[in-house]
Amino acid sequence: MIVLVCLESPTPSLASRAALRLACSLGEETEVVVLTVGSETKGASIELARPSAAVRRIIRLQDTAFSKADFLTLGMILAEAARYLEARVVFAGEHSDSEGQGIVPAALAHHLRAPLFARVHSVHLPAAQNGKFENLEILQMTVRSGGRLCKVTSPLPVVLTTSPSHTSDPQPLEVRNPAPALEVLSLAQLGVDASRLVPRPDLLGTFAPAPAEIVQHKSFDEAARILLRRQ
Amino acid sequence: MASIVAYIELREGAITRPSRFVVAEARRIADSAGATVFALLTVGPLAQVEMDRLASEISAAGADRILCSSSDTLGGPELDVTHGALLAQVAEHLRPVLFLFPAGGVAAHLGPSLAVRIGAAYLANASITVCAEDRDPEPASQRVLLSRWRAARDGLRKIDVGDLERPVVASLLSGPCPPTAGEPYAEVEMVPCPDAKFPEVRMVASQVDAAADLELCQSMVWSARSSTAAAAALRSELPAETCLVTTDEAEAPALRAAAPRDLFVLPSARSTPTTSLPSMSPGATITQIESPPDLKPPRPAQRGEVAERSEAGEGQSSDMAGAAGPADVDLAKLAAALGRARVEGGAS
Repeated sequence: MIVLVCLESPTPSLASRAALRLACSLGEETEVVVLTVGSETKGASIELARPSAAVRRIIRLQDTAFSKADFLTLGMILAEAARYLEARVVFAGEHSDSEGQGIVPAALAHHLRAPLFARVHSVHLPAAQNGKFENLEILQMTVRSGGRLCKVTSPLPVVLTTSPSHTSDPQPLEVRNPAPALEVLSLAQLGVDASRLVPRPDLLGTFAPAPAEIVQHKSFDEAARILLRRQ
Repeated sequence: MASIVAYIELREGAITRPSRFVVAEARRIADSAGATVFALLTVGPLAQVEMDRLASEISAAGADRILCSSSDTLGGPELDVTHGALLAQVAEHLRPVLFLFPAGGVAAHLGPSLAVRIGAAYLANASITVCAEDRDPEPASQRVLLSRWRAARDGLRKIDVGDLERPVVASLLSGPCPPTAGEPYAEVEMVPCPDAKFPEVRMVASQVDAAADLELCQSMVWSARSSTAAAAALRSELPAETCLVTTDEAEAPALRAAAPRDLFVLPSARSTPTTSLPSMSPGATITQIESPPDLKPPRPAQRGEVAERSEAGEGQSSDMAGAAGPADVDLAKLAAALGRARVEGGAS
């Protein structure tokens, strides 16, 4: 079963690092494919994916048209890539480290016509009573929602996102030689007409320089009075 | 007239405090700029008396009308697969200019997908400003501005709701519980829940997330690693809706959904990198608590003596030290200060 992990390029976000960790936790029944977007042949994303034992392929989506793709378009392209690679489970970070909105995974799930689960805590493939993974059409996961940890099963394909985490990346399970080579995929291979990638109006809003942080300095007694006044 | 939808999150049958804040913010905008406030309540099968109780609370918070959808599907966790179709249906029907979600993590499940479905802009952890725009000779009008920090905290993103010819979906910080702003009973309209798009999705089990209070807290006190006893002592003194987080807990997943209005950083935690802090909206404040000047400069703690703050000792556990570490001292000072403030408050 193909498990696709979308990593930002050249540097993966904290959330997508966590997504890779979760994907690698699914075990030997799965084949983890890492997908990055951009023209870089090196970078932290590729360096992160290469030594991970569960990662079988590293693919870079490359096309000059990406320069004008907004986050909604990017989600659509990633959905096409997931279809092309026959991915059954797609992992992504909940949001990037730059804008931090989480629209790309939502657009990906929308175009893939797959259910989206956010704030995923853990995943596993439910085994049959004899211990074999006979039904790989269902994924079980634990998600945080409404103040509860909810164990949910979902049909595949499915799109999962994870929250940012500073936890260190997993060590490679085994030393593999050679590491997977970097493959390149173009929009034409996905059947996407690059000339139709018209950027939508900027839904991010206008950029304003960072104002001075609203940091106030108070004594313990002043802080205590503020805390009590907030009630 | 324009519409604003405020999503109501229930936890264990009760309306969350951030949900009441979202309704109050919608009321504030509606009163200034002119709009109808719809509160959207999604519940499992519910007795009429319970429904009336919830409706009464929501209308008191400032809603003009309450949309309620009730079904088995909606009684479970708030996921896009269970709630997404209903939200899109409501948005398509009302065409709101704003669709607001409360702090607490529900927006991560429902917000981005709703924005994609209805072609809206999306802002996480936004602040809302309403300001008058002078259009002489025309009458002055009100502008509704939403702003948020970029995740990289290198700048703000701002959207003028009037300028954008699309709806805006946004989540807000965990703000204060407002005084009663609405009528005691608003009109309740039942909304049918559309069929689930993925009926095969099943909830197998669920349990209370012990760290979930972090997601909703309005004020957060940030400390370096401390002893369990010192942390427990301060927690017993902290007012409601206030959480203590030590740097040991900085990786708690629930913390990623928190959007406190106030963050108090104790002296021992001053070196905490901003990337470890919870998401803050532009309307939130950070208070750096300072030690009194007469305690500076720090000197190394003597054996058997309560340690003052020192660079070498910062962030180290004090449980094995035998003497209180700098974080423990900070926690004890804040607990004492809270006690004094309560006495002062009672006396006045």
